[in-house]
Amino acid sequence: MERDILGYKCRKCGHVQYPYRTRCRGCGHVEWNGVDIVYDTVPLPKNGKLLTFTHLYALPSDFEAVNISLGIVELEGGNRITGQLKIKDPKIGMKVFGKVEVVRREEYKKYWGMVFYAEGA
Amino acid sequence: MRDVYVIGIGITSFTRLEYPLAEIAAYPAVQAMQDAKLDKVDHMFVANMGAGRVNRQTGLASAVIDHLCLQPAGAETIENGPASGASAIKAAYMAIASGMHDTVLAVGAERMNEVNSLEATDFVSTLSHPMAEAIYGVTLPSLAGMFTRLYMHKYGVTARHLAMVAIKNHANAMHNPFAHVRNLITMDGILDSVDAPTNNPIIADPLRFFDVCPVSDGGCALVLASEEVAKKSGRPMIKLAGVGQATDTHAVHDRPDPTELTAVKLAAAQALKMAKKTPQDVNVAELHDAFTILEIVESEEVGFFKKGEGHLALERGETQIGGKIPINTSGGLKAKGHPVGATGVAQAHEIVTQLRGEAHKRQVKGAKVGFTCNFGGFGNNVVCLVFTRE
Repeated sequence: MERDILGYKCRKCGHVQYPYRTRCRGCGHVEWNGVDIVYDTVPLPKNGKLLTFTHLYALPSDFEAVNISLGIVELEGGNRITGQLKIKDPKIGMKVFGKVEVVRREEYKKYWGMVFYAEGA
Repeated sequence: MRDVYVIGIGITSFTRLEYPLAEIAAYPAVQAMQDAKLDKVDHMFVANMGAGRVNRQTGLASAVIDHLCLQPAGAETIENGPASGASAIKAAYMAIASGMHDTVLAVGAERMNEVNSLEATDFVSTLSHPMAEAIYGVTLPSLAGMFTRLYMHKYGVTARHLAMVAIKNHANAMHNPFAHVRNLITMDGILDSVDAPTNNPIIADPLRFFDVCPVSDGGCALVLASEEVAKKSGRPMIKLAGVGQATDTHAVHDRPDPTELTAVKLAAAQALKMAKKTPQDVNVAELHDAFTILEIVESEEVGFFKKGEGHLALERGETQIGGKIPINTSGGLKAKGHPVGATGVAQAHEIVTQLRGEAHKRQVKGAKVGFTCNFGGFGNNVVCLVFTRE
């Protein structure tokens, strides 16, 4: 099963926001269904353009790697997302595609997130 | 609203301190009260970010008021990330300006070295967005690294410009007895020589070790007072003339232009407008250089230089002591140190010292208007202050 990262589409103005917020960043709307706040969820696109990146050598204590690469990607459709990179020689502006993978483990817990690869890799 | 003045200041060394957090807050508070010639105050705000997590202590303000034997004065802990310090000063300002209190202590304290540097990094990275950033291993240096790369790409800032900030601030800290890092560094030692990659390893490229502030312990305090009390005290009349604050998106990727520090621009404009000053009126400034790039970009957002030209002004020496607008005469966070909750108060401490003319070898001659920028998160909550000498 292919996993997705979800964007939250406002039922009033149609703005898709990521990450989730209580109010719509596009128009400030909050839609209650009587119990909870509701948005239409839409899978975020996985192709995009690398906006910036870094190779981090001072990692949080639970990471076992020597370094990780992190980047901000401008996805098709305009949303941006922060993710990990598995790209040998990243360049600003390069085309990338994402897969949802385990990005962090804390004992028995797994965190899933977007990992980007160079297009064509 | 009533005018508010700073009539007392106190500070600890910024270093590794081997005494408890509440004392790190209480010692400078005592100094500030002695400086103000007061033996009690109406209220106290204590700025701190990590007590609950790092020091396993909550309700810090109650512990500090007990150390100071100031009961039954009111006391609150203020947590606003790395901008906690300036937020405590802002709270003190509001308390006095509103007429609710006449004398208020604004204290900042942090004891980060109670845990090792990995745990300290984990603790500070809790500022990032839990689901959209933190899960990936995002830390504050990594956000700064991505920001720096984009800024270099857009405006032509180089590693050499970043090193110039570090070299300048280390030189300034040589004249600050409270600074954490007091050793001179050179371009050769951190960038040009064959040993440079060993001396100055990559942390979050393009940022290297000497682009990042140290992990420090430290405390700092100000006594703020109404005009009536300030006049009676006989202390120099340093007015807190402007206060500004602005916020920005939690996740950095969500900003329309991630090279803009919009909250800095808005908070600075608000503080300067309230003080009826322009950026060109400012004689000395303390900017939040947790990473060297931030000093350059903040100097543009505040309005000292045009956007994209801060690094050129730095090259021309305009931000050195003796230059057009000396920045971080204390050594900044880079060399004075960054005990997160105390930093905003310490920035104000340096400006008050400068406006009083008591900064000795790092004194900016004739300084009458001072400015501070205390930067929380990665620019998502910024508090700016303007001080004037009357």
